[in-house]
Amino acid sequence: MKKLLERRLAPAESTGALVLTSFCGILAAFIIAGLLFIPFGGNPLSAYGFLFDAAFGSLRSFGLSLVQSTPLMLIALATIVVWRAGLGYIGFEGCFLLGAAAASWIALSGTPQGFPWAIPALLYWPLVLIAAFLAGAIWAGWVGALRVKFGGNDVLISLMANYVALFIVQYLVSGPMRAPGDLPQTPRLPVESWLPFVMNGMRAHWGIAIALVATVFVFWLMRATPAGFEIKIAGLNPRAARYSGVDVNRRQMGAVLLGGGLAALAGLCAVLGVQHRLMEGISGGVGFIGVVVALLARLNPLLVIPTAILYGGLEVGGSAMQRQTGLPTSVVLILQSLVVLLILAGDLLRYYRINLPGGRQSRSPLAEEQS
Amino acid sequence: MTATANIRVALNNITKRFARVVANDDVSLSIKAGEIHALLGENGAGKSTLMQILYGLYQADEGSIVVDGKAQRFRDPSDAIACGIGMVHQEFMLVQPMSVVENVVLGLKERASGVLNLQAAAARLQALSDKHGLAIDPWAKVQHLPIGVQQRVEILKLLYRDAQVLILDEPTAVLTPQEKAGLFATLKSLCAEGRSVVIVTHKLYEIMAIAHHVSVMRGGKMVDSVDIKDTSERDLARRMVGRDVVLRVEKTPCQPGKTVLQVESIAVRDASGQQKIWRVSLNVAAGEILGIAGVEGNGQSELAEALLNLRELEAGRILLNGEDISDDSPATRRSKGISFIPADRRGVGSVTDLSITDNAMLGRQHTFTRAGGWLLDRQRINQHARDIIARFAVRTPDADFEAGKLSGGNLQKLILGREVASNPSVLIVEQPTRGLDVGAIESVWQGLMAARDRGCAILMISAELEEIINLSDRIAVMYSGQIAGEMAAVDATPERLGELMAGAHLKKSGGNHEEAA
Repeated sequence: MKKLLERRLAPAESTGALVLTSFCGILAAFIIAGLLFIPFGGNPLSAYGFLFDAAFGSLRSFGLSLVQSTPLMLIALATIVVWRAGLGYIGFEGCFLLGAAAASWIALSGTPQGFPWAIPALLYWPLVLIAAFLAGAIWAGWVGALRVKFGGNDVLISLMANYVALFIVQYLVSGPMRAPGDLPQTPRLPVESWLPFVMNGMRAHWGIAIALVATVFVFWLMRATPAGFEIKIAGLNPRAARYSGVDVNRRQMGAVLLGGGLAALAGLCAVLGVQHRLMEGISGGVGFIGVVVALLARLNPLLVIPTAILYGGLEVGGSAMQRQTGLPTSVVLILQSLVVLLILAGDLLRYYRINLPGGRQSRSPLAEEQS
Repeated sequence: MTATANIRVALNNITKRFARVVANDDVSLSIKAGEIHALLGENGAGKSTLMQILYGLYQADEGSIVVDGKAQRFRDPSDAIACGIGMVHQEFMLVQPMSVVENVVLGLKERASGVLNLQAAAARLQALSDKHGLAIDPWAKVQHLPIGVQQRVEILKLLYRDAQVLILDEPTAVLTPQEKAGLFATLKSLCAEGRSVVIVTHKLYEIMAIAHHVSVMRGGKMVDSVDIKDTSERDLARRMVGRDVVLRVEKTPCQPGKTVLQVESIAVRDASGQQKIWRVSLNVAAGEILGIAGVEGNGQSELAEALLNLRELEAGRILLNGEDISDDSPATRRSKGISFIPADRRGVGSVTDLSITDNAMLGRQHTFTRAGGWLLDRQRINQHARDIIARFAVRTPDADFEAGKLSGGNLQKLILGREVASNPSVLIVEQPTRGLDVGAIESVWQGLMAARDRGCAILMISAELEEIINLSDRIAVMYSGQIAGEMAAVDATPERLGELMAGAHLKKSGGNHEEAA
């Protein structure tokens, strides 16, 4: 007798299977979360209507989702580069903060809170990008060096380094970069230093272009270049990498520096595109959510784009829904967490095959007979 | 020792099928009390399956198990343990961060009180270890113990449960010669007490050295079961493969060119700081194969690693075509024409998660490029992978197949193909045919001979004397980090090599014939 549900020897790896299981995960998350709305007097269907309308319903709302997803993309890409090289670095929050600080410092050039000399307009963009990138690279670099050179625990060190970065930014906004006034924050950045909006009436700024360029770059690097290939094998099997002539330490360091820089660009986008001033709590945990996005995208750079937009949309739409329906904020959080959890749990489904009655009969002999 | 007629365990007409593969076909085996019973067979002959049935990990489709005259049915290993049957797996089942005594009592039911009395357990363990000469510290953490001692823990675990039948799966695969001698002494003392030991192995000389009785399996069937005094290694080998092992390669006369690789009195230490190589000097000429024979663990792996600079030289130098390459990185040495086929083909020789195509460019990721070395040339790489697959008959669905899913033989052919494809001037080969079936051995040997005939200087490290004698033009024997002797292949006999491998020139007594396979 054939069982309706049969365990596969290896998970189904096809794109179709991946898309289907992910979709099932999202659907299940929405259904379960929807049930939670009912005791609070919310109608799940209309609530989800608000959510999708606020996230993707109009050009304006889609722009908001894009704004939300831009830093997520960059952090996710950073995660991919660093983790592919075999490290467990999770200090992207710190890189984000210091990237934001460096960008603000350059943007405030010529004022008492920023870079001492005014920077010509032509040089501003290259300089601000380089400064932010370098800040993140250095911040990730010292943790990477401790791991690569001395075998330190990069997960722990990078996690702790996040707090150090947090305090550095706290010091900067309450000390040398503080604007006159009560709040610990920098002055508003000059308008010409902002990332311009893509379109009038749309909140999306050109940071999304930075994220897209970075995506293509990371995809190209990992797939088409010898350097990316070496990073990959250094991560998958360091002994085989050394054997095939790869300088494993150099490749891992390179990946950490690049990852730190990309995460810092996320900070740049937040400060020059959204907040327009540096302050405490500017990161809001984006350095960790970006890691989740990378995991949901299964460390595939191209999948990062839709995943980040979906996640950004959920954040924008979720809070809109919450405002409209008066549901508790925690419900939105539950919805987000369920989406992540069930997409990842959906992997389990790929280990099973459904034998529909009357389907093809010729597949069973390969399955193990013993339970 | 005379084996009593008292049969402790009998497996009667066992048949086990996995899907369409019959792993055991009507196999019978009886193990007497107080004997060391060797189970011999090639990879895939069904010996592990049979032992796993005896240990309760699998259930037989047909047949019965009789222990001490009573038919038993093992649903899982705990039933087997209750009947006094224990197994030491090839990969040890120990919890690394826990202490020895904790590992030993793990899984045991406690007495009625339910209190874990580790002190008492340690005392009992100490008594057992004293009695059997298995020196051990009950409070040591397993992760700090060397492999040989971890094996001792596994054996003590069985003795603690008072196992009467001990199954050891490939017990010597990971041991140094000294540890091996210790293990054999232990096994002998165990069967002197009346316990039975089953060792699963494919090493003939070990069987001749310690077993009383040997059963030979081939293709899932039991082909023979004989007393050790009625057989010989040659006889066993024939029974195991079903024909005389006369794998021979067409060997053209060697035409050595000029010396390509010179190793000048190098010294190397291993990761734990032990002196593994001391003042080794070698020369290899173009178009010849220098075979490095020796019992494993005498510095051969370190020699291979030092030649590609995977391990640092402590002293001495290495010259390639007269040029000093001692300080060159592995990448530079590769680009200067050194290729290496490592012994650990899944851990070092390939990246098992990547495709065959990606593995085909491993080590040459900077040659298959375009745009000034910035981009990989996927077209050429694909072509290269297809060439290797075709030339070395790698059996695979396609070139995008995951390399780790290839069988050992096909993976080795892929690695061999990749390493000789660059036309290296020096090829270092370590254990080229370990664990391969006869067909794959032949193609690997042919590949090596073809490379030699093209003028490649080959340094071949192997623990298999047959391989060394068949392929080499000159043979050097390594013993405890030094070259014990060097001779032309025509002068080499297994006896002479065996003496050198046992350290003949160092210890006057020499001649450890157990290892003259």
